[in-house]
Amino acid sequence: MKTSILILALVLLSGVGFANEAYQKAMSQSIEKLFQAKTIPEYVEVANQFERISQIEKAEWLPLYYASYAYIIISFQEAENTKKDQYLDQAQKYLDQAMAIEPNESELYMLQGFLYPSRINIDPMARGMLYMGKMNESLDKALALNPDNPRVYYLRATMTYHMPEAYGGGAAKALPLFILADEKFRIFKPKTEISPNWGKEMNDAELKKLQK
Amino acid sequence: MRSILIIIVFTLIAANSFAQAQLSGKVTDSGNNPLPGANVFIQNSYDGTTTDSIGNFSFKTDQKGFQNLSASFIGYKPFLRKLALDSVKTISVNIVLQESDDQIDEVVINAGAFEASDEKKAVVLRVFDIATTPSAQGDIFGALGTLPGVQKVGEDGRVFVRGGEGYETKTFMDGMLVASPYTSKMPDMPSRGRFSPLLFSGTLFSTGAYSAEYGQALSSVVDMKTNSIETEDKSSISIMTVGVMGSTTKCKEKSSFSFNGDFLTSALSNVINKQQVDWTKSPITADGTIMFRQKAGKTGLYKLFGTFNTSSSGMIYPNIQTGTNQDILLNSSNVYLNNTYNGQLGEKWMIKSGLAFNSDHQNINMDNDRLITNQQMVQAKIGFSHFLNEQTELKFGADWVNFSYEQKIRMDGNYRLPFTNNELSGFAEMEYKLSKKFATRLGFRAENSSLLNETTIVPRFSGAYKTGDHSQISLACGEFYQNPENDYLKFAPQLKPEKASHVVMTWQYLTEMKTFRVEVYIKKYNNLVKYTEPLATNPLDYNSLGSGHAEGVDIFWRDKETFKLTDYWISYSWINARRNYKDYQESAVPTFVSEHNLSVVYKRFLPVLNTYASLTYSFASSRPYHDPNFSGFMNAKTRPYNDISLSLTYMLNFFGKQSALHLMLNNLAGFDNVYGYNFSNTPNAAGKYESAPIRSPFVRQAILLINIML
Repeated sequence: MKTSILILALVLLSGVGFANEAYQKAMSQSIEKLFQAKTIPEYVEVANQFERISQIEKAEWLPLYYASYAYIIISFQEAENTKKDQYLDQAQKYLDQAMAIEPNESELYMLQGFLYPSRINIDPMARGMLYMGKMNESLDKALALNPDNPRVYYLRATMTYHMPEAYGGGAAKALPLFILADEKFRIFKPKTEISPNWGKEMNDAELKKLQK
Repeated sequence: MRSILIIIVFTLIAANSFAQAQLSGKVTDSGNNPLPGANVFIQNSYDGTTTDSIGNFSFKTDQKGFQNLSASFIGYKPFLRKLALDSVKTISVNIVLQESDDQIDEVVINAGAFEASDEKKAVVLRVFDIATTPSAQGDIFGALGTLPGVQKVGEDGRVFVRGGEGYETKTFMDGMLVASPYTSKMPDMPSRGRFSPLLFSGTLFSTGAYSAEYGQALSSVVDMKTNSIETEDKSSISIMTVGVMGSTTKCKEKSSFSFNGDFLTSALSNVINKQQVDWTKSPITADGTIMFRQKAGKTGLYKLFGTFNTSSSGMIYPNIQTGTNQDILLNSSNVYLNNTYNGQLGEKWMIKSGLAFNSDHQNINMDNDRLITNQQMVQAKIGFSHFLNEQTELKFGADWVNFSYEQKIRMDGNYRLPFTNNELSGFAEMEYKLSKKFATRLGFRAENSSLLNETTIVPRFSGAYKTGDHSQISLACGEFYQNPENDYLKFAPQLKPEKASHVVMTWQYLTEMKTFRVEVYIKKYNNLVKYTEPLATNPLDYNSLGSGHAEGVDIFWRDKETFKLTDYWISYSWINARRNYKDYQESAVPTFVSEHNLSVVYKRFLPVLNTYASLTYSFASSRPYHDPNFSGFMNAKTRPYNDISLSLTYMLNFFGKQSALHLMLNNLAGFDNVYGYNFSNTPNAAGKYESAPIRSPFVRQAILLINIML
């Protein structure tokens, strides 16, 4: 009897082990694909993979996080404004689901802050005021949850860089922020292998451009 | 024992390695168009794929037994089908996805309505557009004047819609009535809206045939939606050539509180901008507004809006009618309170309720005469929405308005003219979507006035049909009642409610960046107030036998994408209107109507100057007036109206604070606009009735403002 319980437990355990391993594997593969994607169909494909993972792993916020990230990138690439908004709605949907799972995750607030600039791009005059406020609010929250989140520093630097000088932006103002972001990236250690760990290359590229 | 383990392990492996099922097929929309990029998968498994560029998919799965095949795509309802995966090796499935209902391309009933919103995606105007329209000088009602269907009536300031008078436009806030939305006015001078456009996140402006939810408005409704719960603490101050303004907002997790206060004086401005008016006391105004928002439960939101305003001004009014210069002093105060609660009741019901209070006090001293007017309004309203099914929404509700009016006159004796009216109304309306392309709405409204002792029941109908991805045609009609103006009711409470009927047809093309709409309408008026002479005091001098009509075409074009960093809109209206009301001798074009109205608003960001520039050009053709020196009625016309206004917004850092500098310039070209003429009541020695033109209080006006975020 004892042995059969032991076997049962073993089988169950190994099942759990399999499942977890499958999740890790699926995530690692998808993340790799995500950061190799170039075209909208490629991003859609990988976002679909994350969606499929999320519907099994209902307690994990990461698949939703990456699905949302993919759609934000898609919205930057899409030319048509109506579609842009549709993609962002989709990104927001995943992000809201992720927030429901993990309400106090700095990376999710950071991603929210990353989503708003794309909304602004669609109609800067009408949307600028509204979404700039919302973006700052999200980034503040992201920093409150993790004062060392390098992506927040990177996004702040990028926004400053693209803002006209009279609004307090410009290259000169942005450079120290990119340097600060760089410091944060250097000390950053992702929590797990599949935790968000992007942005360093982009920051390096901007830094290189500005320091020339 | 060991053998059992082996068997289990073996079974597991076997299950994994044998009998993989192959699924393939095509995903299309209901029009058989392939949908590339759709997500097709077996629910609760990792097995799935994305459709290729022609909508095809193919994947293998290890899943066994009955499994759900799921397909999803942005903008479409998710698809689910149960499949038996046991014995079958290859399965072919063709999937047709249905468009989801929350797409923006769904038909929307909108004949007669312009909507400004920051929440919805495709709308004609944003709140920001209202705040930055130069000819409006930050006045909501002024900005509505750049939309088609609105007449330019420079000496009044209210919204005159499609051959209707200013009082025929009713203002609401979050669905609740605002009895006195405009500031008190001096003779022949425009009034302004009391509320800052920045307090609102949306405005619904309907120029005709509106829903049964709105009553007691003959021509038009303006429903302003106050800002929802704020999420960010913020404070700002503004210093202007016309005064100072400050605001602060404090937020908690489920509530927010804001205060706005301002003190405005034209003393400086009247020196900068040459006045055509002899002020004895430059206009001074003080306002305070509080807004409190509290979330209740998951969906409920309680809103409180309270505003207090006091103002005073004095001028010498050259009254040509009596041939005297009158010394006029105007003091007024106004309190408006608005409480609303909106929320869901279960899944299929929504409640909208509110309580509003408005008190308005006006004191006019004219030489030795005195005129005190007090108005008070209390409104209670409740409404429900019930979603019978996906296609059908039922709305119904009731409201009660208690309005009391009192005018005290000291002029060769003391007079008092009071009246009270209780208006009880109910409405029911059903919106039915036959398909994604075709929607109809039918409603009824009943109103009972205790003062007029009249009950009216009117129908309202509208329908809309989508003619393309971004275009639709709409038809709306209805009947509308409104009680006569207080200035008549105070003398003659036996009058009937005035009546209008509207038929409106619209064709609209709307995308995020471009809007084009054409609207034609026919309007008929009955029961308009007629009287023998202005200010007659005998009730028998008034009757409800007036009538009128108006027909016209309104065209609107807005384009935000053709020119870089540029947004412009053009409104044009043509109207043919006649009325026989007031003391008109015959049916004639009323004095506030100009046949052609044109507005061009041009907004552009100038990156080199870091400046946001807006330019408005307005044109209105001649308005009729009656010249007693000649025979016939309404026998003369003013010259056309022209205006060019400019506003510049420059963003800057002011001592490290984010700031904006606004410059508003009105009537840049200095057009000498004449809105009409006043004539002497009696002829002079030469037998001629002398006249005086009605003009704007200034030729040009410049206002400078700096706003600093603290």
